[in-house]
Amino acid sequence: MRLMQFTLALTLTLAAAAASAGDLSVDLAPDPKNPASPQMGDNLSFHSVIRNTGATAVDGIIGWLSLVQIDPGQEQPVDLEDWSAHKAVTATALTSGETLEAEWPLRLIQAGTYRIVVSVVSRQSGELAASPFADFTVREKPVVESERVLPVAIGLPLLIAAALLWRRRAG
Amino acid sequence: MSPILLIAGKETGELLLDLRGLAWLLAMTAVLSGFALLLVGDTELSLLDNAQVVYDMVGIVTAVGALLALVVGLDTIAGERERGSLVPLLLTPVARDGILLGKLGGVAVAWVVMYGLAVPYLWAVGSTGQNLAAGLLTLALLGTPVVLGFGFFGMGLGARLPMARTGLLIGLIALLLAASPLVLGPSLRQSAIGRAFDAVNPFSAAVNAYDAVIIDSQAITAQAANLVVTLVWLALALWFARAGVRRVARTSPCG
Repeated sequence: MRLMQFTLALTLTLAAAAASAGDLSVDLAPDPKNPASPQMGDNLSFHSVIRNTGATAVDGIIGWLSLVQIDPGQEQPVDLEDWSAHKAVTATALTSGETLEAEWPLRLIQAGTYRIVVSVVSRQSGELAASPFADFTVREKPVVESERVLPVAIGLPLLIAAALLWRRRAG
Repeated sequence: MSPILLIAGKETGELLLDLRGLAWLLAMTAVLSGFALLLVGDTELSLLDNAQVVYDMVGIVTAVGALLALVVGLDTIAGERERGSLVPLLLTPVARDGILLGKLGGVAVAWVVMYGLAVPYLWAVGSTGQNLAAGLLTLALLGTPVVLGFGFFGMGLGARLPMARTGLLIGLIALLLAASPLVLGPSLRQSAIGRAFDAVNPFSAAVNAYDAVIIDSQAITAQAANLVVTLVWLALALWFARAGVRRVARTSPCG
């Protein structure tokens, strides 16, 4: 099911990118300050530029970020809710040659290989403009270390149980 | 030594050092251990799963603390009355508010001990995740008025109701209702009734602050409104307990 969803989403995006994007084009690039080998908990930033390449103004611009996981067997769209508070950018109009720049911060929540893309539509156009893909891999970071949990989870109840028994014997 | 401290010391000793008190602490650590052990061996945890467990633990600590405070608060007047020790207590040369504060001192020390026991658990599961220190601070700031408020609420109930059992039943139902946000997700509380309930429920205020700080990484300073709700609850519960204790003093044979 996840594979089907992913395939559908990817097909739609590729089809849109392959089609004429009308008067809008989108560039997407990672911030040069991004860590080279990011791990869970790190923050990444991407920079997009939406440009009106046509001769006339374009109204009602909406650009949004999509994130998909592309690990084999784990292909799925990712809900951005936990990853980013900045999920869309809008503009009332872009005149000919005008650009709309946006920063897309991401907080890396889970390990894996991911791909992001910025898609743009306008009010009049029935076409979707999509940015080039930007891929990144998130290294795993141990969130729970069993050598910390076990002594506490087993030791504390045992300690109190021992105190309870001692107290009972002491009367 | 101040009579208030004497009463608080006696209450603390009964709460923490006798079998009943140690059984409380054992039950609490068993619950927290169960939660912590669920995480060990899970290799697909995200940062938010980790924060979710810290959030759950903080909520559980608050609920168990409130339960302890409620039961002990009830026992303060209703229990003393049933054991026949209420009149001698009222005859001691201590002001009614002094008795109230002394009894609450025991609850407060027990809460501090429970908080202290929760810290290693939260450290064990949360130190590699996010917002552990902020979560601990939020628990101290918002959990404390909720817990102490339930202690006062129990005292007020015990003073007004002739039987401790009736007070316990009412208090437990009130606590269950108040603590329902622990099991009802935010989406189930989005109706008008749910929002109104959240707006006045101190437990909701604490839980919402835990959620905002631990999971959503919001600043503690943004939780002022939630803190106010818990402080209002504490003030109302204190008023309820004081009025109840004065009423007992007036109507008892020694009053």
